[in-house]
Amino acid sequence: MRESVAAAVPADPFLPTAFAVTRVQRETGDTATIALRPPDGDGFVFQPGQFNMLYLFGVGEVPISVSGASDRSDAVEHTIRSVGTVTRGLTVLRPGDWVGLRGPFGRGWPLDEAKGRDLVIVAGGLGLAPLRPAIRHVLAHRADYRHVAVLYGTRTPADLLFRRELERWRGRLDWDVLVTVDRADPTWRGNIGVVPRLIGQVERVLEPANTVAFLCGPEIMMRFTERELRQRGIPPERIYLSLERNMKCAIAMCGHCQYGPLFICKDGPVFPYSQIEFLFEVREI
Amino acid sequence: MPETTVSEILAQHPFTHDLDQEERKALAGLATVRTYEPDDLLIREGRAADTFFVIVDGLVAIEMFLPDRGVRRLQTVEAGDVVGWSWIVPPYRWEFDVRALARTTAVVLDAARLRELLDRDEHLATRLFQKLLLVVAARLSATRLQLLDIYAPPAEVGR
Repeated sequence: MRESVAAAVPADPFLPTAFAVTRVQRETGDTATIALRPPDGDGFVFQPGQFNMLYLFGVGEVPISVSGASDRSDAVEHTIRSVGTVTRGLTVLRPGDWVGLRGPFGRGWPLDEAKGRDLVIVAGGLGLAPLRPAIRHVLAHRADYRHVAVLYGTRTPADLLFRRELERWRGRLDWDVLVTVDRADPTWRGNIGVVPRLIGQVERVLEPANTVAFLCGPEIMMRFTERELRQRGIPPERIYLSLERNMKCAIAMCGHCQYGPLFICKDGPVFPYSQIEFLFEVREI
Repeated sequence: MPETTVSEILAQHPFTHDLDQEERKALAGLATVRTYEPDDLLIREGRAADTFFVIVDGLVAIEMFLPDRGVRRLQTVEAGDVVGWSWIVPPYRWEFDVRALARTTAVVLDAARLRELLDRDEHLATRLFQKLLLVVAARLSATRLQLLDIYAPPAEVGR
């Protein structure tokens, strides 16, 4: 899938390429989207759902999902929450700074499999970021899909990501976009409650046996969501989840992200539920 | 609104659509259809729980008033769902407020007459209570997930 023009991945997968920060967009109090452009200006090819290893020079490297391709340049976007030393440093970069990038890595969302079927996209919190390229792709190829529902849950209204884009999405009439928050003050006029509950609002327009679902968010949220989806008859092999583990090498050599017989970095991060069902509730993994 | 129309609404509603026609007719005999404007209160904490709401259209919020913190909105309930079960449990007093957030239409059943009907009709009582148990279980499960505060920043987890 082509999200922007091509850039060659270095032959040595351990060797980062220097990308320039072209734009920093503050999303919430602790989250920012940074746009990165390769030095040769060739752009960047990725599949929605894939991730990159971002290296903050002299500090460290972290895996971050691609959250989009910038409209105005050949830059690739990453939406990062400040939770540790590296991510804190990445969220305070400024245009003109440099970041080392390795990638893209991993298996993305199976958008081709969803063609001709109903599609339910369920995002929780920062989980909307890895799904955003898939959502944009579906919008750009809307006729390829039947009924599409995007269900997004987050903590409070102040934590909503991509707010302007979300408002545009909600304004369209050819799909359902439902948003819920876990808590809100009385100025919020929308849904309050957890995101799996939104499934009940769209189930009547879905044909379960012919539905594909993409899930991304905290693992507990995906657990509750896949149960709700399976209960409604959506087959486990058509429920896809994006998992997160401690990726280090990103090419299935170091073992840091091993998940039973699988490596999240190479075999995932997107898996059909049927492939990981036997591991999903194993607490030791 | 004529009784037959209420029956037709109940025939389409996810909570009541699979009841027998006679059962829906019996429920319709206890019901009226009401429309609430945004900010109207359907339920007020502490008052007699004398109604059962089948939400047909719109959105309502379950709220609680805290003397020191004002109104806290806890969950929303949308079209296709039901709200209020204090009418089943003595002393039949509401424990929360329920407020319309959008223009909302509901089939409103008279709870005292509904309790009498269910005392007489064990079959309907069993079916209705089974359905209500599913609603209560789903809402309890959602509340537990909500309590976990799963999107909290790592620094706040475990506080």
